[in-house]
Order: sequence, then structure tokens, then C-alpha cells
Amino acid sequence: MSIESNKQELTELIYQLADDDFIHAHRGSEWLGLAPHIEEDVAFSSINQDTMGHATMYYRILSELGEGKADDLSHLRKKEQFRNAIILEEKNGTGEYLDSPNYDWAFTVIRHLFYDVAKKIRLESLKQSSYEPLADAARKMLTEQYYHLLHWKIWFKQLMTSTEEARDRMETAIKRVWKDFGGVLTLGPHAEKMVSAGLIEDEAALRERFIDQIQELFNEVNYSIDNEPLMIRGDGRNGEHTEDLEHALKTLSEVYVSDPQATGW
Amino acid sequence: MLDHLTFDQLSEEQKYDHFMDRINRDEKIEADDWMPDDYRIALIRLISMHGISEIMGALPEKEWVPKAPTLHRKLAIMAKVQDEMGHGQLLLRVAEDLMKPLGKNRDNIMSDLFTKRLKFHNVFHMASPTWGDAAIIAWLVDGAAIMSQTMMLDTSYGPYGRALKRICQEESFHAKHGESLVLSLAEGTDRQKQMLQDALNRWWDALLMFFGPKSKQETGHTNVDKNIKYKLRTKTNEQLRQEFFTKYIPKIELIGLKVPDKTVRFDEESNTWHYQDPDWNEFKQIVSGNGPKSDDRIRLRQSSYENTEWVREALGHVKTAVV
Amino acid sequence: MDEQKNGLNPFYEEFEVFSKKKEDGPLQYQFSLLAPNEEMAIVLAKENFFRREKAVDIWVVRRNAIRKLSQSEKESLKKLDKHYRETKGYADLNQRWRNFKEKQDNGTDEKKVEKA
Ligand SMILES: [Fe+2]
Ligand SMILES: [Fe+2]
Repeated sequence: MSIESNKQELTELIYQLADDDFIHAHRGSEWLGLAPHIEEDVAFSSINQDTMGHATMYYRILSELGEGKADDLSHLRKKEQFRNAIILEEKNGTGEYLDSPNYDWAFTVIRHLFYDVAKKIRLESLKQSSYEPLADAARKMLTEQYYHLLHWKIWFKQLMTSTEEARDRMETAIKRVWKDFGGVLTLGPHAEKMVSAGLIEDEAALRERFIDQIQELFNEVNYSIDNEPLMIRGDGRNGEHTEDLEHALKTLSEVYVSDPQATGW
Repeated sequence: MLDHLTFDQLSEEQKYDHFMDRINRDEKIEADDWMPDDYRIALIRLISMHGISEIMGALPEKEWVPKAPTLHRKLAIMAKVQDEMGHGQLLLRVAEDLMKPLGKNRDNIMSDLFTKRLKFHNVFHMASPTWGDAAIIAWLVDGAAIMSQTMMLDTSYGPYGRALKRICQEESFHAKHGESLVLSLAEGTDRQKQMLQDALNRWWDALLMFFGPKSKQETGHTNVDKNIKYKLRTKTNEQLRQEFFTKYIPKIELIGLKVPDKTVRFDEESNTWHYQDPDWNEFKQIVSGNGPKSDDRIRLRQSSYENTEWVREALGHVKTAVV
Repeated sequence: MDEQKNGLNPFYEEFEVFSKKKEDGPLQYQFSLLAPNEEMAIVLAKENFFRREKAVDIWVVRRNAIRKLSQSEKESLKKLDKHYRETKGYADLNQRWRNFKEKQDNGTDEKKVEKA
């Protein structure tokens, strides 16, 4: 791989990784102070910090590739420039984080579990990436991934095997996340070039691993699903996004854009 | 001093004397030790209020977590607010153990909060409309909290002291975080400086109120005397407020901010700061749950609590069923 | 569980958390937390008490599995001095050795004493 001739697929891939982590951590951070249980609130926040930290590492790599300042990349790009999967931008619930949020814990557990399973598979593959800074970042991130997965697996198993109400809510959440989780599993329009440049393994292999691992988790709690994860609302890797992302970007950049003369915060 | 009698055989009065002896010898009282009801009630009042204040204190800053201007600030404020939730965890555990013999637990603490029977610090009833407020909170509200928490580190109640020790260790990070936020704005554009000054103006009275009234005259009652007798605290409200002035007024002026009280001055002769008293009637109103943001914040806490009731309900049932 | 008997929410079970800072260090008491079961308690313990502090091992124990001392029992720990079984009860030995040494140095022909 040479940076010059593979620049586009390289940056496209890193934008996907960075934006996935960034938006996912943003949604997680909105829960701060509102989790079902104080002890869980503290634990969940660590996971969000780790994930936001990973996004920061990716934005720095992009920065080194000449894409601009990490803070500008995360706070100034337009909706269409984001490469995250649509399922990750979806709001946590019907309300706003400051006012009757009405957040859905079952949805959060499922989205986080699925994401962390997929992320671990992706990181394992990136360890072999032909782009060394990416391989190096992946190795570092993997050390934190074990705890994230452990945490969400326990929540998943326990809620799936507790009350009928919890089981119902969890099954509804699985179906909801499943319909768009394909968006996380895809590498987007530049997939082939990414693979031929040795940046990451091909989409089908990663996807198969994901389905196997989820199937295993489902088996443990006597659950099964027929179809494969879909991408019904569009491909975020292609710049397709929903109002929820627009809204999130407005919130998270509110202060950063509020004083164009400011050089530091 | 117990001679051949075992502790259980002592009369209530002897137990009380034994207890006060321990307090006066600076021994630490533990959760399962005998303690007079008066002491237990004083501890529950103090620690449940402190604990729930940490939890409610997460909310005004939490507003700025997703909005924090840079990646670094986003990470740091998340860590800071997380710590505050963690402080709430430590303190509520201490309060819960004290309440257990009375048949109460965390659910009761929450419902007391929702019905405004359990009060929280005045500062967390206030609005935080700009990023400047997040900076002033982290610098000065935490600064004030550090002073009162450090003062209690040597408290006679062992579990409270251990919680405070952990808390104070983390507060040193909060202090740096706060200073860093404030300095960035103070070094910044005119607009950033103005944002900071406006926030200071908004918070000044609340900061003075934070330490509580000088004496019984201002509010009619105070628990300070009892807390000193039981060695739960060592300084009065006014002593702490004076220390706060000494530590922060020179710094506030150094970075070009103005203290929004024209009368504030240090009197060399009496070695004290003179200042304009805040409105203590307003203070009473605020802490009884009638501050500008009291209802909103309690509603937010309550709705999220009720919204996740099913989770606690569900896991309360699996305790033995899983792995 | 006794919590259930009291009519309290069984979601809140008390766990005591212990940890080791170094491989060869002692296990230390940290704090307590509320969790619905052991599995949950251990994942929660990590981030509640070891966000900055190092830990190489973490234990959680249901509080009701711990037998503690009552206050009378604790009072009974305040022992009378038992000098005869502690090193500090033998503080006079050095001086006595020195006495022998002095006698030897002064040339009195008593039995030789090895250096202490
Ligand atoms: Fe705190
Ligand atoms: Fe703090």
C-alpha cells in the first residue's frame, strides 16, 4: 500500500471508524446521570470515554494525513461528510437529554452490545492492516474492548432471562437495531479498494464472524432471528444520514462554532 | 473501661458515655457500632444531603457534556461528571448503611428527593446557560466543595471519612480541570472573557450561600453546633467562606475578572473579608426546592428513574438465575 | 435474602469490594456497592472504584456472607499487655549483652561471649 495512491480509501476507512466511535460515544454520553442505577451510570460513562478516546485517536491519524485539525474534523463537518452508520446516530429515545429524555435502556444495551461485538472483530482485522498507524491504534484500542464486551454481554444475558417485560423490550430492541445494523457491517462504496490495499479484510468475512458471534449469544438465551442484519434507512458510509445526525451535530458543535475568532477553549 | 461487663450489658446511659468517650478520644465510629439516635440522625441528614447533591450536581454540568467545545474537553468533562456520580455512589452507600436499621434504602432516598423532603445544595438549583457556567462551576463550585470536604476528612464517622478521602483525591483533578477551562476563556477573545464574567456574576451569590448562613440568626436554625460536638466537622460556615475569599478573590482579579460585589474588601485589622451578604431568605427558598431550576432537575431525575424502573424490577428477579 | 424479607427492592444487594494493587500485595478492602448479583457486581466494581487506581485483582463478596464482630467482641480485642510474647517485652537484652562485653574488655577472665 502506498499512501499516495491509496489515500482516498485509506481516509474513507478511517472516517468510518472515527465517525462510528464518535457518534456512538456521543449518544452514550447523553445517558450520563440518567442510567437505571448509579453504579451503572459510572461504569457506562467509562465505556463512553474510552470510545470517544478511540474516535480522537482516529481523528488524529486523519490529521496527520493532512485532513485538518482533529477538532475541526469532529465538530465542523457537514452531515453529508460523516461516514458513520445510521443506526449509531439514532436518538436514545423520544425526548431530549435535558428534558424528559424517555431513553430506552433495552435499545441502548442492544445497540452497544452489537456495536462492541462488531468493533472487536474490526479491530482484530485492523491489527494486520497495511497502514501501520492504524494497526498500532487497533492494538491499543483492543485492550479496552474486552471490558466493554463483558459489560454489555452481562446486561444482555440478564435482561433476556429476567422478567417477561424485559424480554419483550429486549426483543423489540433487537428487531429494531437489526434492521439497520447492516450499516455498521458495510465498508461502503470504496470497500474493494480498501481490501486490495490490505487495509482491512473483506466485508463478507467480517460480517460472517459477526453473525456467528451474535448467533452464539442468541443461543445462550434461547433466541433466534431469521434474516440477516439490514440497512433499510440507507448507507451512512455514502453520506446518507437522518435528521437525528443533523440534530446531534448541532448540539455537539454548539460551543465550538459559537465564537469563530476563538483559538482556544 | 468496660471492666468485666460486655458492651451489651451496659445501660443506655453508659453506652452513651462510652460513645462520647470514644468521640473525645478521636476514635472512629463504624457502621455497626452502637451510636445514639441523635448521632445517627445527624449523620443521615448530613451524608444523604451530601450524596444526593453530588447526583443532582451532575445535572447542570451534564448539560455541557455533549456540547463541550473540543474532543479533549468532551473527554474531561465526561470524566468529571462521572466522578460526581461516583461521589454520589460512595456517599449514598454510607447513608444507606446508616438508614438500614430504620428500614430504608436507596429507593427511599430517591422518593424523598422527588417529594423535596431531601434537600440538596443551593448551587445545583441554579441554571447553567453557557459554557462559561460549566467553567465557573468546575473552578469555584468545586473549589468551595473541596474546602468543605477537606474540612470533614477527619470526621468521627469512619465510613464517611473513607468516602471523603476517595472524593478529595478526585477533586484535585476537578480543580485542575476547572482552572484549565477558566484560563482558556480568560486568555481568549473578548466574547469568551465576557462569557466568563457573566457566569461569575450569575454564580457569585450562590457561591456565598453554598457555605451556609453565618449563624442561627440568618435562618433560624443550624446543625453546625451539633456537627462540631460530634466531630463531624471542625470549622464554621463563616470560617470556610473566609478561606474561600482568601484563596479565590486574588485569583479572580489576577485573570481580569471583577467580583460582582463592590463592597468586597479585606480588612487588615480584623483579618477578615467584608462582603455583601446574599439574601438568606432566597437561600431558604432555593434549598427547599423553589430555586430557578429545582423543578426541572427533580423532574429530569424522576422521569429517568421511573423510566428505568423495569430494569431494576427485572434484575431484582434474576439474582440467582444467571451464570 | 433478608432484603426481600424487609420488603426492600431485591435489585439492591450489598456487595463488599476488595482488591490487590500488586501481585504480591495484600488484599485490601475498598468499598461497597449495590448490585443485583455477583456478575453485575464485579463489572460495576471495576469502574466504580478503579477508574484511576491500579488493581491486579478484584473480589466481590455478598455482605451477608461476612460474619463481623459485634461491638462487645470488638471491645474484647483491646488486649491487656502480653509483654512476654512480644519482642518489645525483651528490650533489656542489648544492655545485658553490652554488660558482658564491657566485662570482657576490662580483662576479667570470665567465659568468652560471642559478639552479639
Ligand atoms: Fe464531588
Ligand atoms: Fe467535584
